[in-house]
Amino acid sequence: MAEETNQDEMVGYRQQPGKLPFAKPGSGGKDRFSSPRDEEMIPKSQGGDLAQPWGSHRHDELISGQVIGKPTSLVDGKWKVTGQAQYGDDIRLPGELIGRIIRSPHHYARVLSIDCSKALELSGVVAIATGVDASNKFGVLPVTKDEHAMAVEKVRHVGDLVACVAAEDEATAREAERLIEVEYEILDSIHDIREGLENSEYPIHDRGKYHIGEANIQKRVFQEFGDVDGIHDNAIASHKQNWIFSGVNHAATEPHAVVGHWDPSGRLTLYTPQQVPHYVHRALADVLEIPMHQINVYRTFVGGGFGGKSDPFPHEMCAAILARKAGRPVRITFDREEVYWINRGRHPSRIEMNLHADEEGRICGIETDALIDGGGFASFGHVTTYYNGVLHTAPYEIGAFHYTGARVWTNKPASGAMRGHGAVNSRCAVETGLDDLAEQLSVDPIDLRLANLLPPHSATITGFRVTSIGMRECLERVKEESGWEKKFRKMPLGKGIGIGCGFFISGSGLPIHWDPNKFPHATVHLKIDMDGGVTVHTGAADIGQGSDTVVAQSVAEVLGLPLDMIRVRSKESDTSPVDLGSYSSRVTFMNANAAISAAMKIRDELLDATVEITGAKRDKLVIGDRRIFDKKDPAVGVSYLEALHKAQEDRGALVSSGAYRTPPMGRTHKGAAAGLAPAYSFSAYVAEVSVDVETGQTKVDKVWAAHDCGKALNPLAVKGQIIGSCHMGMGQVLSEEMRYGRTGHLMNPDLLDYKIPSVHEMPEVFPIIVESNDPEGPFGAKEAGEGPLLPILPAVCNAVYDAIGVRAAELPITPDRLLKLIERKCKAEGINDPRELQSPRLEHSDLQTILSDRSDEHKKRDLDRRLNQDRQPYHNGALFGLDPTIPPDEIDEKWAVNVIPSQDYIENPRLAGSAWKHTERRHRGDS
Amino acid sequence: MVQHRLPMLPSAGEVPWIASVNGTEKKLNIENNAILLDVLRDQAGSLGTKRGCDMGTCGCCSVLIDGEPRLSCLTLAVEADGCKITTVEGLADGHHLHPIQEMFAECGGSQCGFCTPGFLVVASSLLENNPSPNDEEIKSAIEGNLCRCTGYQQIVDSIRAASEILISEETIEDSTSPKSDPHPGFTGE
Repeated sequence: MAEETNQDEMVGYRQQPGKLPFAKPGSGGKDRFSSPRDEEMIPKSQGGDLAQPWGSHRHDELISGQVIGKPTSLVDGKWKVTGQAQYGDDIRLPGELIGRIIRSPHHYARVLSIDCSKALELSGVVAIATGVDASNKFGVLPVTKDEHAMAVEKVRHVGDLVACVAAEDEATAREAERLIEVEYEILDSIHDIREGLENSEYPIHDRGKYHIGEANIQKRVFQEFGDVDGIHDNAIASHKQNWIFSGVNHAATEPHAVVGHWDPSGRLTLYTPQQVPHYVHRALADVLEIPMHQINVYRTFVGGGFGGKSDPFPHEMCAAILARKAGRPVRITFDREEVYWINRGRHPSRIEMNLHADEEGRICGIETDALIDGGGFASFGHVTTYYNGVLHTAPYEIGAFHYTGARVWTNKPASGAMRGHGAVNSRCAVETGLDDLAEQLSVDPIDLRLANLLPPHSATITGFRVTSIGMRECLERVKEESGWEKKFRKMPLGKGIGIGCGFFISGSGLPIHWDPNKFPHATVHLKIDMDGGVTVHTGAADIGQGSDTVVAQSVAEVLGLPLDMIRVRSKESDTSPVDLGSYSSRVTFMNANAAISAAMKIRDELLDATVEITGAKRDKLVIGDRRIFDKKDPAVGVSYLEALHKAQEDRGALVSSGAYRTPPMGRTHKGAAAGLAPAYSFSAYVAEVSVDVETGQTKVDKVWAAHDCGKALNPLAVKGQIIGSCHMGMGQVLSEEMRYGRTGHLMNPDLLDYKIPSVHEMPEVFPIIVESNDPEGPFGAKEAGEGPLLPILPAVCNAVYDAIGVRAAELPITPDRLLKLIERKCKAEGINDPRELQSPRLEHSDLQTILSDRSDEHKKRDLDRRLNQDRQPYHNGALFGLDPTIPPDEIDEKWAVNVIPSQDYIENPRLAGSAWKHTERRHRGDS
Repeated sequence: MVQHRLPMLPSAGEVPWIASVNGTEKKLNIENNAILLDVLRDQAGSLGTKRGCDMGTCGCCSVLIDGEPRLSCLTLAVEADGCKITTVEGLADGHHLHPIQEMFAECGGSQCGFCTPGFLVVASSLLENNPSPNDEEIKSAIEGNLCRCTGYQQIVDSIRAASEILISEETIEDSTSPKSDPHPGFTGE
């Protein structure tokens, strides 16, 4: 743009309201400042050069060739690199006090008394608060509000909040912390997940008439779809594995911090690095007993979230309560250890995975039993319990799905949502199981997957509506680029290669708070005044993933403006419309859709104004870089500012609002909404590893990571998400673990012993972007933030097997664990030196040809379904001979959906399934 | 059961402290047991220096002391008395960003940005001593810094790109230079 021009010519234009001589039709045609439309970014269906192998999209005509699809640096990047980005602890208000939290030293205890008198006498102590100051419950899910700002009756884990203090400085606050005397009555604590299933004298929470038995079961799920009874008749190969997954923490580099401030007009402003400011807003209103409009939630820059900053937190309540009592701002900052006490990391789990394949190499059954450890509170756990099951019913077409899941309370810091929420562990179990099935059937695991994929625009066995699917392309790309054919089962001992796939939601179909019923999930406001710059108001929380950038890009694209003319205001609930927050990978999909719809309204007004000025036909007009012109005769047109000022005549600033709500979808059985999403992302990774058979040390050397994100609005950010996901998943599979000692104490609440991969552990990652052009996504986009994490775990596990022939079933695969497995294998095979072990080899069976043929056939079917708009419905079950156009449970009674276990099952349940042995209190008639 | 905690270690009192922080001489009175990170954040106004772990594991608090990268959370402030301290705020020349800052913003080296100040300070010191490091040298330089978002790959890319800019002596545009004109081609005549 400006580079080629003479500086002298740039000056001279001043904005003088009322004095702007509007250019005549045809002016600006020999424009030297404005760059032409970028034809390479404009789809073929709109006259550009961009190839569209996946067909056209409803947003095609809005593409002006500005920024969508180009690698774009974050709009707030310069703030971050200069140190001027203000994170939670960087908010310093005049007169601030330092808040500290008094935490429980016991796993489980009744709080008998709290004596603050000595602490209050200490000079410099301004306010102390305890549970009696705020007794209302809150929680992220309206159905499971079980948290208090501070302990009201009991403390439920070490580190649970008991009281808080605000003082002039940190030393005084710490001293006051010491002087507060708390008397506890210690109760028997529960640390093993399995114990949570049993009746206990003092259940950790009491759910009244909904309490299950007298046990610590927070949520139990039973689901059966498809021909469950026929599984064992049909199966010729079966896989069974009992998995143990350790808990992992998000370990975001920024520890939680919060500043509470009541202004002179009596309103609360809470500064907090939050992923989900709206739920904090609601929870504050509940706890403080003030209306929501009296609260302004200010989201600071967020130093990494990954799900760890998505609950309304008790310390946020504490800051507000202390600031109210003290009459001064209060800042609470966690040290690293406290981050582990608040946790909300991935659930420690025990998963039993059973997979079955029939003689045609079809997956005729998946039976999963997942017992997950919720720690002391519910958090997102209600959803997590479902996600551990339903999120592995795709991308494969399956004959039967049986799932029993239970989440129990234990006296550990609460588990919650973490990147890949609920899907990561069970996905790892499924994908390694498929690898084992392929081994048993003597076929290539990639071909086994390719021959069992659901087609685009289909319904999964649980009734999820899947639109675009790029799974096949992901698998084909990683297979080709990794040199799979030459490496798989052919490398020497200690070198291995493995495959893993992923499937994840792109936003959840039902908002957590569904009241009022038709409230949109995301809303975006635009405001354009005389200067021509566009102010975007959105409540979407940018947690570093670049949501501000994506919303700015979307607006810039539709209005044909450079990115620097867009400014995003997304921090304050006072000025931004409600957005449900950065969780379940919903922001790009929902918020960009809302932004596009808001921008379309402004665009319409600009086009109308252009018609008025130029007399050109409206349907002939296109928007280019800061110009609106006739597409056949570009000399006829006006500049953006001319059109804008015309549109603003007699009314001033243009404002518009756009919103997004998911379409109605899904089935009606209990739990049908969990896992429903307007679109799903798919991914396939190949990992290459080296394993030292003598030490058990595993190193990941290379990862080929293909992810179907629909359309990469910002390829730089998508690649960043893919590589970052590899990093986090690699941590979980090889080194990260919240280790609890024999007495149940967390042994590694710091970044020295909790080992996240450093730069030396990172493999070379080759990110591969697959664009399946989702029909409902903004410009075709789906999520890219969480899905890419799923495949890395099983890819590494499978590669370890390929390298040394050992299947690990306990994560992380630390050297000591792997060495034990190696020793066991050596013993079983009568070998003394592990270097003499044989790595597995593959000789294809006849089934391989059947699978390859079916995969070729399905590839044609998928292409047809993808491009042909007149497609028939396709329900999971067609591969097993059912009519694809009718839901299978309506054709075949064997495929009936079942969400209540039969008496037969209850008599002989799997581990988590035994949660169904208990009866809810309300059905026992004793309360 | 009543819980008891040990009192904090007392400070032996305040001492005068003079250091050059980003080229400005700071004369402060500090507690003699104060940690440099606390002094920088709470007293010297360098909120760009981040606190991630307080125990030298994450590298977020890295600063340059007399040109050498140091973890300010493991440094007593008195140790840096009389020294020249550079934090992330001292890297840019007015509105001209340091190439390393420009490239972190441009190449995806910064996502959430919390670890970025630490990486920038360490990387600027690397490039000062070794203007064209290879990938192994870059990795060794940043091995003490943790990043949870990027998986390091784009950080290494950013440092490499900055090294190329430094070698070619390209100038970074002043960030206050005029942005896009909403009325291109119009001269007001």
